[in-house]
Amino acid sequence: MKTDIVKLVQGVEGLVTLPDVFVRINQLIENPDSSIADIAQAVSQDPSFTVRLLRVANSSFYSFSSTIDTVPKAVSIIGTSQIRNLALATAIASTFTNLPNNLISMENFWRHSLYCALIARGLARQARKCDAEAVFTAGLLHDIGELVIFNRLPEQAKAVLQRVQESGDELPIYQAERQTMGFDHAQVGGELARQWRLPPMLEECIGCHHDIREAQRYPVEAALVHIANALAVMAEVHTFDFADVSPIDPHAWELSGLVAEEVIEPAVSEARAGIAEAEKVFLGK
Amino acid sequence: MALSPPSRLPLALPGFEHIKRGWNDTYEAYAARLMPGEYYVTLHDEGIYTTLGSCISACIRDRVIGIGGMNHFMLPASGEMSGWKSEHLSVINRYGNFAMEHLINDILKNGGKRQNLEVKVFGGGRIIANMTDVGMRNINFVRDYIETEGLHIVSEDVGDVYPRMVVYFPATGKVRVKRLRSVHNNLIIEEEFRYLNTIEAKPVSGDIELF
Repeated sequence: MKTDIVKLVQGVEGLVTLPDVFVRINQLIENPDSSIADIAQAVSQDPSFTVRLLRVANSSFYSFSSTIDTVPKAVSIIGTSQIRNLALATAIASTFTNLPNNLISMENFWRHSLYCALIARGLARQARKCDAEAVFTAGLLHDIGELVIFNRLPEQAKAVLQRVQESGDELPIYQAERQTMGFDHAQVGGELARQWRLPPMLEECIGCHHDIREAQRYPVEAALVHIANALAVMAEVHTFDFADVSPIDPHAWELSGLVAEEVIEPAVSEARAGIAEAEKVFLGK
Repeated sequence: MALSPPSRLPLALPGFEHIKRGWNDTYEAYAARLMPGEYYVTLHDEGIYTTLGSCISACIRDRVIGIGGMNHFMLPASGEMSGWKSEHLSVINRYGNFAMEHLINDILKNGGKRQNLEVKVFGGGRIIANMTDVGMRNINFVRDYIETEGLHIVSEDVGDVYPRMVVYFPATGKVRVKRLRSVHNNLIIEEEFRYLNTIEAKPVSGDIELF
């Protein structure tokens, strides 16, 4: 099973590769000798990322009082680790245009991902236990394994969805995947993150978002993404009914320290209010 | 671990033997699964469920004796290109009339009384962006049909942008509507297109049996 996942992900190598700008920024940030000027220079070499970074910096995502019009200014204000998140978040969408599929439109795929990202960040801010911006990125990337499966195994992916519908939508997709293929999209996404050498927190959140008890090093982050994933479906189909969305592991609430009844409605409503702006900023719509 | 069904599969009425049925753990009941173009009527306490994109389902039962059923259909799109001639309109509506008449007639034939009929309507979602709102056409058709028949709709969940999973129990009138994630859209659209092709390929005549 593990070898199946590794082979599947190796099969998309060359089709989806992380953009150079992310790789360079990542190296610079991990090197304690790098300066803000070094990072700003790396950013500036990629015009489309530069445009996106400035757009994000000036959006309502950050309520900075003055206009941020230069890259060095953006880097120093936004912060270097946050630049890495942004580089990754904004690069991934374009990367995956090389991995088309017939099952879901990119627009619908990223809308769910962005909902998850926004909600995960909101919950992380309330939980005050981890880096909320890093959790945003984890939320944005949690389902990337789905795109690999949809592209490489289209017939099986279709059989999975048929099985879910056959069950009256009672069987969660990841369980239908396990029954059909022997593995699920979370495991595939986790393996992709590993091969891409993404930060271990992202790898674990992506890989364990349906199975948080597997998370070894970052259980709180994984729990937040797990909760946000279910709440993202609430936002997507406009419901507050638990029975309409994938089940939330009670252990996730314990790990987060959050109380479901207190946080769900505000988190979902806030995400619905912010989704249009987020789509514009991150997906360039 | 799946529970084993406590009872035997209820006998299907003549003409409905081909409808796929199975045990559903969540509802602890047998349930018939409708594909586009199908309908099902039952005398028993069993569920009927289906997935709806822009298609529509009428759930109708005799609320006194608890027999009823569900259909799943859409109006053909042909005629749209050549405008709205009244002739075209009646041809198009004929498909919808068949779907509704078959369901109602089978309920009455099996002991239902017209004055006891209770109607619920679901579906007609606009799941393809930037296209003619075929879902709305189906909704309007069913509403008009029900009104013309002197019946009325006691509850509905129609329109908007979601596909839906509908589970209906004619014995009790209980219904569960679940809006589905957009990941299901394309598969549902594919099935509805396939169905649309079959109804558009058939010659239309007054007596033809469509379902």
